[in-house]
Amino acid sequence: MNPLLILLLVPLAAIAVILWLPQICPKRTTVTAFIVNFAISLGLFFQFEGGSGFQWVLKYPWFNLPNVAQVNFHLGVDGISLMMVFLTTLVSLASVWVTSAVVKRAREFFIYILLISLGALGAFLSRDLFFIYIFHEFALIPTFLMIGIWGGQNRQFASIQMTLYLALGSLILLAGIVGLVLTQPLDSRSFDLEAIQQIHVIDEGIQRIIYPLLLIGFGILISLFPFHSWAPTGYASAPAATAMMHAGVLKKFGLYALLRLLLPALDSGADYWQTTLLVLIVGNVIYLGYVTMAQKEFPLMLGYSSVMHMGYLFLALASQSLIALTGFVLLMVAHGISAALLFALSGELQSKTGETRIASFGGVYTQAPFLGIMLLVGSMASIGLPGLANFSGEVLIFFGAFKSHPWVTIVCVWGVVISAVYQLRAVRLICFGSVSEVTAKLVDLSSYSARFPYLLLVAASLWIGIYPQSVIHLVQPCLEVILNGGGR
Amino acid sequence: MISIFGTPEFILTVAATLLLLWEAALNPSPRLLGRVTLAILIGLFVYVFESDPTANKALWSGLYVWDAEAKFFKLFFIVTSILVVWSIRLLESKIEVGKSEFYIITLFAASGMMLLSSVQDLILLFVALELVTVSFYVLVAYHRSQTASLEAGVKYLVMGAVSSAFLIMGSAYLFGACGSTHFDSIGLALRSLEMRPEILLGLALVLVGLFFKVSVVPFHVWAPDVYQGAPLPVTAFLAVGSKAAGIVLLLRLLTGPFAGEEVASYWIPALATLGMASMILGNFAAIPQRNLKRMLAYSGIGHAGFLLAGIVSNFIQGQAAVLIYLCTYLISAMTVFIAMSALGKSGESDHVSNYAGLSKKAPWIAVPMALGMVSLAGIPPCIGFMGKFTIFIAIWQSEHYALFAAGVISAVAGLYYYLGVVRTMYWTNPADKDPVIVSFQTKIVLGLLSASILLIGFWSKPLFSIVNSIYGF
Repeated sequence: MNPLLILLLVPLAAIAVILWLPQICPKRTTVTAFIVNFAISLGLFFQFEGGSGFQWVLKYPWFNLPNVAQVNFHLGVDGISLMMVFLTTLVSLASVWVTSAVVKRAREFFIYILLISLGALGAFLSRDLFFIYIFHEFALIPTFLMIGIWGGQNRQFASIQMTLYLALGSLILLAGIVGLVLTQPLDSRSFDLEAIQQIHVIDEGIQRIIYPLLLIGFGILISLFPFHSWAPTGYASAPAATAMMHAGVLKKFGLYALLRLLLPALDSGADYWQTTLLVLIVGNVIYLGYVTMAQKEFPLMLGYSSVMHMGYLFLALASQSLIALTGFVLLMVAHGISAALLFALSGELQSKTGETRIASFGGVYTQAPFLGIMLLVGSMASIGLPGLANFSGEVLIFFGAFKSHPWVTIVCVWGVVISAVYQLRAVRLICFGSVSEVTAKLVDLSSYSARFPYLLLVAASLWIGIYPQSVIHLVQPCLEVILNGGGR
Repeated sequence: MISIFGTPEFILTVAATLLLLWEAALNPSPRLLGRVTLAILIGLFVYVFESDPTANKALWSGLYVWDAEAKFFKLFFIVTSILVVWSIRLLESKIEVGKSEFYIITLFAASGMMLLSSVQDLILLFVALELVTVSFYVLVAYHRSQTASLEAGVKYLVMGAVSSAFLIMGSAYLFGACGSTHFDSIGLALRSLEMRPEILLGLALVLVGLFFKVSVVPFHVWAPDVYQGAPLPVTAFLAVGSKAAGIVLLLRLLTGPFAGEEVASYWIPALATLGMASMILGNFAAIPQRNLKRMLAYSGIGHAGFLLAGIVSNFIQGQAAVLIYLCTYLISAMTVFIAMSALGKSGESDHVSNYAGLSKKAPWIAVPMALGMVSLAGIPPCIGFMGKFTIFIAIWQSEHYALFAAGVISAVAGLYYYLGVVRTMYWTNPADKDPVIVSFQTKIVLGLLSASILLIGFWSKPLFSIVNSIYGF
């Protein structure tokens, strides 16, 4: 049986077990399912043959949209989607592992997490744009319910705001996708990703319309400045597992799809809108950087910081250089891992102490050394310390982008300084100093089982940070195809 | 081979009349009569499903056409009626007088709708439409001890009469200009005639009459009050059946005799504007509503806007998209209405606050209700998304970008109030702890509807192949 199909069926099977066998602990079922999926994705990683083509392809005709295109259920992975699948299974596993088994309404909770993971996996495994879109939307309603039911402060507002924003983004990008597909001559119209990478030359005027539709639509999903306002409040209110899945994985979906759609087909659209995009990038890194510095609550700070880092990724997209785009893929994975780690820690601190203000903590390192170290590692990864994954991504982006946009790159490097300021300040206030009243309530994670998900995320970050070549050789052939698709 | 006596409308009318006589003579229990009604409709479904529309295209000297589109809509109306009858069965205890007649009048309305899907002549159109409308006059005001129902009845009566007047006046103008009331002859006349103001006036008046039925802005004002006051099954029938009946007539007229380029250049901008207004007004006005029937009325106005957008695209794909949209709307809206009826059986179901904490009290109602709402909002993988998706593609192909933008905005606005209901069911705590009892059969019906929302939403091939085969793709 096709391994990619198994990846999709495992969460479904787990949902069925939770629904019909209520006596089995739902957390155990979910963790088992995600371990299986993680193992499969590791297997895929080692079995992957390299090159730019899609592997383990499964194609099944779905339905025919008359005079538009045939829609196929079409699975397949290349180097880039393989890394995204790896990220999804990794973060899914970590996110359920850190969740308490006795969370209220546990069965519902784990069903929603399984649905979110299923949607993300489906989006990264599919090759058909229709299914990429549908699978991504799978996550919308579960996320809404999760924030609403298990969320923290301000959950009512945060959940509806996030859902409406994301739905708006999805509909705008649907317009872009439909437009993109319909630009093709009738006999070569297709929803297939590979076909879009070898797209026919599109009229310049139409490119100028489709490009902003895709940019804004995906930009909303990725929280590009100034469409970001849903993200920090949403992440701050969400339960830790949801925030991890969303900031770690789902947000990366938009970037992944932008990489696949914008670059190959819309080169003159990109030229036309370049200045706008660069302005937004600077706003994203610098303005949101300063906003992040002003945050007093840890989850909100993490939310803003995760929004801010999207600026680097857009810089890579704007530069269209192979080196920067390699960094783009690395940073997508790296940021997913570090964001998941930090949101897990923030959730742990919040659930044990009931407190979110940075200033109220202090001495976490003394009280709970393991959590303190993890917080330090996560923050260092987020700043971009060499040896951890984010560094390799960011540095490649800066090198690659400097040639085409030197000034913007220099400004963005300043963002690294900004992120060092707020992360280090948060680490100093939370981890060091004397043990505060709030921190005293904290109990360190002592069992290996409780520590495992954190260590797993750190290990993944270290692996990519120390040996990025293992990822680079996977993704570079695919990126070459994407860059050359438009005949450049 | 179908003769006049073999048409499903004829069979249904005869059956309804026989039921009426049976009721008068032997006074059977309403439950039994409800069961027989259901059996008749299911039998008719099989009969129509098995029939071959190509065998006999035109009947009654061309007044009545029996083509693939007609078959599709007849099946559509039968399914709607089956679900409406189910809803009546659930709420039977709430009807004070004339429980049995409620079923029978529903059958008359259904047979009128089925006749509408076959009409080829303005006179027959009027007769069939009156059969539907007169049945609804009775049904809307059925709770005669309740002022709200009576008010709704009067409003519907006045509005129905006005719209019929528009329709008949328009038909007269068209007859005067074209010399015939038959669709084909009108089409022929339009091709040879130059465009004259009386043709446009006639078309405009006919369209206004139909817009009342479909509840398109600015002819929508009756809908919220009537939907709110009418008994719940009637609201469902109005929302799905009556709306679809108006849409099938619009399709028959605008893609038939009035499809020519010159006349289309007049009605396309008009329909596009009204469609845009309906989408936006319907979806935004639904946001503050706390009465669920009223909210669904406004949401129905929004859906009417989407349907008009499909017709506007004036493509054969646009028609296919309208049919797909109607199917998705039928399934999603009827899921919501049946769930409401199941709750209404043992208490109140009109107000949003009645749904507080329903996910704990009655998951068998809450889950289908939530799925129906999400599907109406058009979120994948629910079936509602397929409707929105095909309509959006049709709009884009016909290059009505403003309509597309209005569709996006109103879809997002729609999500807000649809999710508001989901939120009430899943987040708030119930006011009381009384469990809601859902019978086994109703669980099966709701389960089937929910399953079709998800399964057809994800595996849409059957839906597409049915609709594609109608238009020969």
